[in-house]
Amino acid sequence: MKNNTQQEKDHPSKKIMPETTLKEIKELNTTIKTTSEQIITQTISHLKKINPNRPQEMEYFDELANMFGKRTQELEQYKAEGKKIVGYNCIFAPLELIIAAGAVPVRINSGWYDTSKLGDRVVPVEVCSIIRSTIGAKMIELSPFLELSDVLITVLTCDGMTKLSEILGGYKKVWHLSNPRIKDSDQALKFWNEEIKQIKNNLEKLTGNKITTKTLKPAILKTQKATKAFRRLQNIRKDNAVISGQDALLVTQTFMWDDIERWTEKTNILCDELDRRIQAKEWICPPDTPRVMVTGTPMFWPDNWKLPSLIEEGTPKGILVADELCSSERLLYDPVGIDEWTMTDMLNAIGERYLMACTCPCFTSKDGNEDRINWLLTKIKDHKIQGVIYYVTRGCMLYAMEYTTVKRALDKINIPVYYLDTDYTREDTGQLKTRVEAFLEMLNTQIDL
Amino acid sequence: MTATVGFDIGTQNTKIILLNNNNNNDDDDNDNVDNYGKVLAHAQIFSGFDPAQALKDAVAQALKTANLSQTDITSFTATGSTLETYPYPVTNVSIMSAITKAGTHWFPNAKTIIEVGAEEARAVKCDERGVMIDFVVNERCAAGAGAFIEAMARALEIKIQDMGPLALTAERASSINAACVIFGESDVVSLIHKQEPKSEIARAVYDAMADRISAMVHRIGVNPQIVIVGGVAKDVGFLTSLKRKLGVDVLTPEFPEYAGALGAALIGLSKNKTKERPKI
Ligand code: SF4
Ligand code: SF4
Repeated sequence: MKNNTQQEKDHPSKKIMPETTLKEIKELNTTIKTTSEQIITQTISHLKKINPNRPQEMEYFDELANMFGKRTQELEQYKAEGKKIVGYNCIFAPLELIIAAGAVPVRINSGWYDTSKLGDRVVPVEVCSIIRSTIGAKMIELSPFLELSDVLITVLTCDGMTKLSEILGGYKKVWHLSNPRIKDSDQALKFWNEEIKQIKNNLEKLTGNKITTKTLKPAILKTQKATKAFRRLQNIRKDNAVISGQDALLVTQTFMWDDIERWTEKTNILCDELDRRIQAKEWICPPDTPRVMVTGTPMFWPDNWKLPSLIEEGTPKGILVADELCSSERLLYDPVGIDEWTMTDMLNAIGERYLMACTCPCFTSKDGNEDRINWLLTKIKDHKIQGVIYYVTRGCMLYAMEYTTVKRALDKINIPVYYLDTDYTREDTGQLKTRVEAFLEMLNTQIDL
Repeated sequence: MTATVGFDIGTQNTKIILLNNNNNNDDDDNDNVDNYGKVLAHAQIFSGFDPAQALKDAVAQALKTANLSQTDITSFTATGSTLETYPYPVTNVSIMSAITKAGTHWFPNAKTIIEVGAEEARAVKCDERGVMIDFVVNERCAAGAGAFIEAMARALEIKIQDMGPLALTAERASSINAACVIFGESDVVSLIHKQEPKSEIARAVYDAMADRISAMVHRIGVNPQIVIVGGVAKDVGFLTSLKRKLGVDVLTPEFPEYAGALGAALIGLSKNKTKERPKI
């Protein structure tokens, strides 16, 4: 008789993807990976070309941008040393606990356009492109981060993520992390804290390392420092056009797979250089360039990167000075706030950082997702934003539906907002360009008056 | 005399407008200053596979009408589709800015300007100064644009220019699926098989399209005055359905298909003006 785990593995509902032959997997993997590496190289050299005076310290992030490169080798090395890799699909996964357990966190959402077409073999095209693309990436084992993960923390935020978790569960060990949809109730917080505790127990079992105050405190300090470095970069962008939005976005994006300590250090070094540029008044664009913010569905490297360049390289040009994306600013905006370094306090603080501070539209309250609205209003004021692009990837119901509320709030303060819907495809770039340029032209006319 | 050129490269036709660019500074001819900004010539040419050539032909045609030569042209402003290279030194403006300019030029109180072309539809919201403050586009699908009417006329086996008047004679509308041109066409065919009157089918086509356009306009608000431009604005069938759907009057200029070209030319004209005036 088979034992329990064996039975679980053989359960027919477990393997959801159609069987793909090894040969096809290999072929597709090679072609898509080769194209992807080319695109990464092209994008980086393009960034250098359009801005000859690009900050030198971007070099570190440029290298990191090749997801198949050095970082993958490092992760392989960790694995060989017996360290565990913990993949996660959403920013609710508590990084501090992963680090405290001696494991390595890495985000696994897919930004590949080509794999979203493969995802269509499993789920209908109406499904969110990020989900379809992640399925496709798993199908051909493209993502080194997903493949190297020993376990996945799948956060059940939206319908897509919930069902993705089932699909990935047929191939990887998954730990569900279920978040409440409301934050301002005691039950919700209690439930969430239990979920976090469960993840802690799981991590301890997986790694064999007990998470103690001794290990958790330095882990929290690590992410706090990262948050600080990140905020430093944001503050620089607030008043000084010394770095393009595209470069800044690359910096935050690479946080999702880099070593947190090293990332923090390099970001600080970059900020030092930017500070010198402020002193030397080396601006990257004229002072009257429209200041744009992007909010909406996350944008993942390496392919889903068309919007930032459309904003900053079209005619007329704008500058992307802030965003409200969980693939960028939302990642690191809020530090874990600790009063006392006791275990209970630390765990509660972690729970709070991930739940209370998050502005994701999967939340609601009696006043709607008011945290997001407030966050946007503050950002607009602080960063002197002149126009907002509301970016929605096809299939994302949450962001699409929350547009109306956001628009109403921004109308009240006379900030133009434009709804830009797109898909995981290169074909619509022309159409998007026309729309983004019209929006920037509109901002320019309003600024001139 | 000098002229400013504006052109609009559409998916089907390229339109061009020549505006009088003379003002007080030109003392070498006795042209009346009041003619400044007046339309000197307009032309429309099938874009075809070589839009750059179409553009040249259109310019030549317009110059001939205006009795001018190319050296008289002070600026070229383009809107619509952008080309890789232009046969002239061109400044680009977005179609949204162009139709705002033209719409408010024709109707100074316009707050909403809708453009329905062959393959695209869009709408602009502007404030009392005529400044665009919001816009929406429908570029994904031809079901909300002129190509839809064309396909349906084909299915009904009637001439496209007869379809509008025919729809007006209908007392009620049949029901069709307007989600997509392909589905719409097969719906029309099955209605024909059911022997529904062509007039009612025609009206259904317009109603379906007006449904889409009005939903689009609702996203920026239905603020009178509403102006409609673009080739489809001349179709009485569509116009009647749209007015019914929006529940307000919709104004049409005399040459709605030239909105993009005129807007581009007007923007060019105002840029020339600021160029001549030294900045203080
Ligand atoms: S959008 Fe929300 S649910 Fe989706 S990954 Fe980001 S934070 Fe998580
Ligand atoms: S983009 Fe929207 S639908 Fe897609 S995973 Fe995130 S929240 Fe879910």
